Amino acid sequence: MTALGPVLRTTAFAAAPRCVHRGRRSRVMMEVIDVAWTRLFDPWPGDPWADFGRLRREMDDVFGRLVAAPRLGRGTPFPPVNLYETADGYVLTAELPGLQPKDVDVSIEGNRVTLRGERKIAVPDDQQTSLHRRERQSGIFRRTLELPQQADPEKAQAVYRNGVLWLHIPKAPEAQPRRIAVQGS
Amino acid sequence: MAKDIEKTTNPTPELEPRAKRAVEREPTRTGTWFRPDVDILERADEFVVVADLPGVDEQHVNVRLEEGVLSIEATPEREPDPSWTPIYTEYQTGGWQREFALSERIDAAKIQASLRDGVLELHLPKLDRHRPRTIQVQAG
Repeated sequence: MTALGPVLRTTAFAAAPRCVHRGRRSRVMMEVIDVAWTRLFDPWPGDPWADFGRLRREMDDVFGRLVAAPRLGRGTPFPPVNLYETADGYVLTAELPGLQPKDVDVSIEGNRVTLRGERKIAVPDDQQTSLHRRERQSGIFRRTLELPQQADPEKAQAVYRNGVLWLHIPKAPEAQPRRIAVQGS
Repeated sequence: MAKDIEKTTNPTPELEPRAKRAVEREPTRTGTWFRPDVDILERADEFVVVADLPGVDEQHVNVRLEEGVLSIEATPEREPDPSWTPIYTEYQTGGWQREFALSERIDAAKIQASLRDGVLELHLPKLDRHRPRTIQVQAG
């Protein structure tokens, strides 16, 4: 457990287009937004709406109602990731629904883990189809995460299951906790 | 009841997320529920609802149509091991839930659902009588 969180950066991220006018055909833009623009995305989960959502949930509880709230604010980088520390390493999880394992590229260099890939969403572009709602994000992504300690890339394992990537990364041998036997004199 | 909702909140489109409207429900479920992102398309003969449900497999999703309300409920099939220490968290895990008011133009018996790689796809066919038809104009 480290005092400081790992450094997260989003170097390229294409945002989903906002909701289009209901019941009207609109053009949907699907383009990669350049790096300078993506810096506007706050990579830290300091979502100003988070408290609002919590408050609303609490109110819903008070009134005995249940309204599911949107979980991530706009501007949350894609894919959202979680990092856990285990006894001998780290587990990085990322939500990447709708991708194929071959669409995700995972690389580990020292203590830096990079996820990159592209999430494609085919948007029909014909006169017969109208788009009422477009909330799912698509585009090219690349995220780099720094682990608090050196990792052992040789033994890392990545599993993609039901739209979630589970990446198990053991710590490098020198970063593993070591038990020192205390001997009697 | 469902019809009234449609009339007041659903003047033109056939699908209206009910996010703004509190859902009266017995507070029987525990845990945290989130609203999945969806895309909604309309074609000549059907509506397509695509919902991101990461972590969900076909055994953990429940799609229901009741009194004109289509509801999606799902839970992830795997949770992080409780022994792991979270050191950086961008997303919470919990259930997914979302409801839509459907108009009667949907053929409820023919709704098809499929789930793959954490993405739910629902095909909601329109009733035959509401499909657009081309009328041949004949010379008088």
